[in-house]
Amino acid sequence: MVLAAYNEAVTLPIVADRLRSLGYGIVCIDDGSTDGTAIAARRSGCEVVVHPFNLGQGAALQTGLEYALGRDADYVCTLDSDGQHDPGELPRLLEALDRNGADFALGSRFLGGTIDMPRPRGLLLSAAIMFTRLTTGLRVTDTHNGMRAMTQRGAASIHLLQERMAHASEILAQIRRSDLPMVEVPVTIAYTAYSLAKGQRASSAFRVLGDLAAGMLRR
Amino acid sequence: MIAQLFLSLLLLAMLPYGLVAARRTPFLGPTIGLAAVTGLYFVWWPQDANKLAHLVGIGRGADLVLYLWVLLSMLVALNLHIRLKAQAELTTKLARALALLESGVGSEGQESEKQKMRGRAHSGGAGDPTRGL
Repeated sequence: MVLAAYNEAVTLPIVADRLRSLGYGIVCIDDGSTDGTAIAARRSGCEVVVHPFNLGQGAALQTGLEYALGRDADYVCTLDSDGQHDPGELPRLLEALDRNGADFALGSRFLGGTIDMPRPRGLLLSAAIMFTRLTTGLRVTDTHNGMRAMTQRGAASIHLLQERMAHASEILAQIRRSDLPMVEVPVTIAYTAYSLAKGQRASSAFRVLGDLAAGMLRR
Repeated sequence: MIAQLFLSLLLLAMLPYGLVAARRTPFLGPTIGLAAVTGLYFVWWPQDANKLAHLVGIGRGADLVLYLWVLLSMLVALNLHIRLKAQAELTTKLARALALLESGVGSEGQESEKQKMRGRAHSGGAGDPTRGL
């Protein structure tokens, strides 16, 4: 289980404790936090990899994938550390991998549900889904959802270059290019004042578009 | 004549810049080169610049050359942005490699691990389906 965390000392122990109670091995990628996230993660029984400074969620996830592969993990799951995902839903993603012979199981809040999702966020996500479908050709129902499970083979096919939030679109493009089977699984996302304050703002969409455009122009 | 020579020197300097840019960004380099060559042509044959300017609704050929220069400047800025992003990516790679080394999962071991796994993937199964990280 890969938990990318930046200043999540408050919520990370709750998420980590729940994951440990379910029997998952956890690696926390502390992305240059200044609030003692790494200490909190170690106290919660996580293995911890510390970025020397803040690199972005995409970079933290790539570090997590490489760490997990280096430890010969058969399955790799990712989850947000801010508590908006329910770790209890992870077994369904892993089951979906086995049942469908898939290499990627992606959580979808639009197949599942949301709790207290602000309307502007829903509209922004709808636009992002349309953009993702157009640019990747992948018929997904959700995007920028951090709840994912993948096989070792799937994880080895991912090489994220986008350090920041554009990684969420990049990972879908790489899944498409890998030609490995993918399945979506209904999940629930709970929006709290904490997760909304820490999450992306509408203006981030422009930055994501800029990062993706720069990535496409580059050889 | 002095202005023509000065502009020509500046535009000529853009050609090697475009060539270097083409190595990193396939679209940007040729565009910079094309804009520079077009600018050079208009500097020495201003009557053609006038004709084209009238055709596209710009008052004077000199304005057209100016607009071309603005376009070139924007392309150079875009190229710099892309180069900065590439530098940031290298820094990220380095920082991630350091973090992994400190954690005991070095990038060298990681690479061989990946190759091993690719081999396994090609030969079929994804390994023992026990729950991992």
